[in-house]
Amino acid sequence: MSLTVAELPPTETGDCYTTIATRARDWAQLAPRQVAMREKDFGIWQEFTWGRTWDLIMDAANGLLALGVEPGERVSIQSEDRPEWVILDVATVAVRGITVGLYPTNPASEVEYLLTDSTAVVHFAEDQEQVDRALEIDADRLPGLKQILYTEPRGLSSYDDPRLMYWDDFLELGRSHRRNSPGEVERRMAEALPEDVMTLVYTSGTTGPPKGAMLTNANTEFCMDVLIMGDEGLRGSQIPNSDDLVVTYLPLCHVAERIFSTWHLVVAGCQLNFAESIDTVIENLREVQPTLFFAVPRIWERMHATVMIKSGDSSFFKMLWLRFGMSLARKIGREKVANGGNHTLKSWLLNLVGFPLIFRAIKEKIGLRRCRHAASGAAPIAPEVLEFFIGIGVPVYELYGMTENSAIATGNWPGKMILGTVGEPYPQIGFRIDEETGEIQTKHAGVFAGYWNKPEQTSETFTDDGWLMTGDVGEWVEGTHVRIVDRIKHIIITSGGKNISPSEIENSLKTSPYVKEAMVIGDGRKFLSALIGIELETVGDWALRKNIPYTTYRDLSEKPEVLELVQKVVNETNEKFARVETIRKFKMIPKELDHEDGELTATQKIKRSALEDMFGDLVESMYS
Amino acid sequence: MKSRPKLYTSYLAESQLFPTRTQKVLVVVAVVILVLMPFDLPVISQIPIVRFLGDNVWLRVVNRMLIFTIAALGLNILSGLAGQVSLGHAFFMGSGAYTAVLLGGKGSANLWGWGLPIWIWLPASGIVAAFVGIAVAPAAVRVRGLYLGIATLGLIFIGLHLSRVFPEIAGPGALGRKWPRMQFRLWKEEDPLVDFSRDGDWFWFEVTKNQKTYLLLLSLTIVAALVAANIARTRTGRAFSAIRERDVAAEIMGVPEFRYKTMAFAISSFYAGIAGALLAVLAGQVPPESWGLLLSIQFIAILLIGGIGRISGALMGTFFVVLSPRFIEEVIDWMKHQVDSGGLLSGIFDALISTGDKDGGLLAISETALGYPLPASALDELVYGLLIVVFLLFEPQGLYGIWVKTRNYWKGWPFSY
Repeated sequence: MSLTVAELPPTETGDCYTTIATRARDWAQLAPRQVAMREKDFGIWQEFTWGRTWDLIMDAANGLLALGVEPGERVSIQSEDRPEWVILDVATVAVRGITVGLYPTNPASEVEYLLTDSTAVVHFAEDQEQVDRALEIDADRLPGLKQILYTEPRGLSSYDDPRLMYWDDFLELGRSHRRNSPGEVERRMAEALPEDVMTLVYTSGTTGPPKGAMLTNANTEFCMDVLIMGDEGLRGSQIPNSDDLVVTYLPLCHVAERIFSTWHLVVAGCQLNFAESIDTVIENLREVQPTLFFAVPRIWERMHATVMIKSGDSSFFKMLWLRFGMSLARKIGREKVANGGNHTLKSWLLNLVGFPLIFRAIKEKIGLRRCRHAASGAAPIAPEVLEFFIGIGVPVYELYGMTENSAIATGNWPGKMILGTVGEPYPQIGFRIDEETGEIQTKHAGVFAGYWNKPEQTSETFTDDGWLMTGDVGEWVEGTHVRIVDRIKHIIITSGGKNISPSEIENSLKTSPYVKEAMVIGDGRKFLSALIGIELETVGDWALRKNIPYTTYRDLSEKPEVLELVQKVVNETNEKFARVETIRKFKMIPKELDHEDGELTATQKIKRSALEDMFGDLVESMYS
Repeated sequence: MKSRPKLYTSYLAESQLFPTRTQKVLVVVAVVILVLMPFDLPVISQIPIVRFLGDNVWLRVVNRMLIFTIAALGLNILSGLAGQVSLGHAFFMGSGAYTAVLLGGKGSANLWGWGLPIWIWLPASGIVAAFVGIAVAPAAVRVRGLYLGIATLGLIFIGLHLSRVFPEIAGPGALGRKWPRMQFRLWKEEDPLVDFSRDGDWFWFEVTKNQKTYLLLLSLTIVAALVAANIARTRTGRAFSAIRERDVAAEIMGVPEFRYKTMAFAISSFYAGIAGALLAVLAGQVPPESWGLLLSIQFIAILLIGGIGRISGALMGTFFVVLSPRFIEEVIDWMKHQVDSGGLLSGIFDALISTGDKDGGLLAISETALGYPLPASALDELVYGLLIVVFLLFEPQGLYGIWVKTRNYWKGWPFSY
């Protein structure tokens, strides 16, 4: 059964503003037996119907009321993706609270910063690991925090902090509150206003501490109308419906996954399937075979690298077959990309050959056999990777947006894509590229309400006439599409006065399956250099096959053979760029970069300043 | 979930015997072909192997194979699932066979036999064998591995000894006694209701006795295989597997070792008892010595060649082991024919086989005494031994393992893993 929102009955309390909570309630009324979420537990995908989901949301919302959560108070969640995340998120919005998402990888120091900055009253910490992080913080520094909820009791039985509460007990509390004072949650839901802040999304903070972007109900609604359900939204006319399956695996505290999971769930009824963990994503994808898929470039690159490496490891006949398939995919990819993403007669015929012979099997193996629309965003992706996926028949479109504008800026549409661009601005929004600085600016109802408790920084992100400054430099391609050059802050000006965008070079380096991290340096220098980190898995595999013994990451990355391998990658990249943009020297990063050590953000972006400090000697050695 | 075969929303769906529609259809088709195999029908008799297996002469071998399948399925439960080595399978088969003859056979002055109908002696042969298995099981709790093998080996000699102590059951001489025929009676009436041991008409069709027996045995085998497959995916089956992996660890996990080892012996012996009774009835007259070590070893060979622990392994193993002596016979006959008629390779074959005292060669056709030249009748044992060694060394998973490798090659397509 496929349902669309068009069939939804008008909300009963006509004057109340639509929020994700009212939308969830409407789904539960319309299709209580329809599956809303699936979670893999003991090897079985346990199903949550809409009826059960809404019941749990009501329990949780009542629980929040019982804990005394007032409108505008913050509920923070630090957890891997799981149904409780979505339930608590929607419940918080139902009682007009504000959800604050924390990355499960946030180390204790960052947890402290985020909890004190947002002054959360209820904190959801998934398991012992997350509870420990929260308890490590001096209780005096969190005077407002009333309760810490946890859902995995293992290892927590001996903890006696009075703030701790088990999730089931919390729901029980909610149930009794629901019995004793029914209708309170409904009353809160009816009071919701469009300008209510519904979530704080903390920016990853490549520079400085993270800032909490306030998104309101109106922002959310605009995003759902334009981006998800709009005829000119990110999928063109392919509007998602309740038959669509989504795999939820990226951190839900990031705006992208929130849009692609929670918001898709409540607005279109798409079924969420929670991956067991980031390590099992490929396996879970294979089981679920989602119809809609969103991934950050890192995931796309990893999938691409997996196919490449596996094809290298295949037996002789399979390897020949795969090579044939790859070259076919490249041809088809190039044809389609040149034709805006649509088949030409030639690519259609080639696909007719390739699909039964090989593409179907590859797509099945990577779990995208039934994928009807996929997207890449949140960071720039290498065009070669996109070309490959389009070639084997996975329709991937790159899009662009940021937390501060509810991810609504530009998108490539089926049939109108241009490779290397992030697509066209959505027609309903204000979009411009500043003529002087080249900065992209947007103005629409999805633009956030400001940074939490940071009015100065808020006003800094807006122009005098009220446009949001994205901080990204863009340029028009063919007058319709936008190409992102780089972050304004990242642009390198060499001592020769040339403006160079390091991201493009770095991405080109990272297309190689062997390169995991790359940072191009050259601001105020005579030539460009790079710090390069290898991908332990693939290079380790490569070393094993070449019989190169190694002990640690550092040992491996300093092997002369590995240096040669990386040099080859650098040379390939240099061929693609102008002379001034070539990398003359590079050094290997001697350790695997880590969020915990402050080298990466939670979204795995490198913190340039931190790296420059840490590996200053390495950098200087290249220029002396 | 529909159209997503790997997305299991319940354990029931995950442990289905035939999860996909294709598999269900294939199973039905296979059963239909098997049922129609012995009858000379237009389409089915064109399928290569089916064509000659359905032949009336071969059908006797096929019937034997079906009975062996039942017994092999039983040993597979004990050795493959629960991991208990047993060389005493022939003994349990013997228990079943003698129960059948005691209950169903004709009595006389010096022979015991009560002439009861098949619906009593067939289940009884299984049940009695199962009780014998239960009696033996405590030994398995005390000893493991090789020692259990030796202990169960002892059973065979106990069985032979008992056959001499009770000539009233086993029959007086080396020839043994006559078993009841395969006939279905309600009680001891003269004319059987259904007679599987004579040619006759069923409805409007002429059916030979081999065809009738085949249909009976086929249905029994299918039931036996389904039950065995279902045992493997129940709580009991999982308990067996736990004991196979490590009985001490299983006990610690809460699997009662004694109970489940006893159960494994009981179930396995039940299968053996039924198979033993059927085998003796099919042969008509069986000497006590035939329930000997060689029979036990044949079943070990079946499991090892087919692939231990798998229903399909037991099926493939039986097919191979029971039919291969016939194939070898055919080949030797053909070689002899070639020598006689001076065919293309007659020189080589002549050097291989010896037809009389004067003729040199490796295989003696007319002789039966062991030694050089080797009698062709002893070739089976040699081949079993060789195959066991070869499979253990190169393909421990048996024919099933070869099948799995082939399947995985295509399953992983286009990758290798």
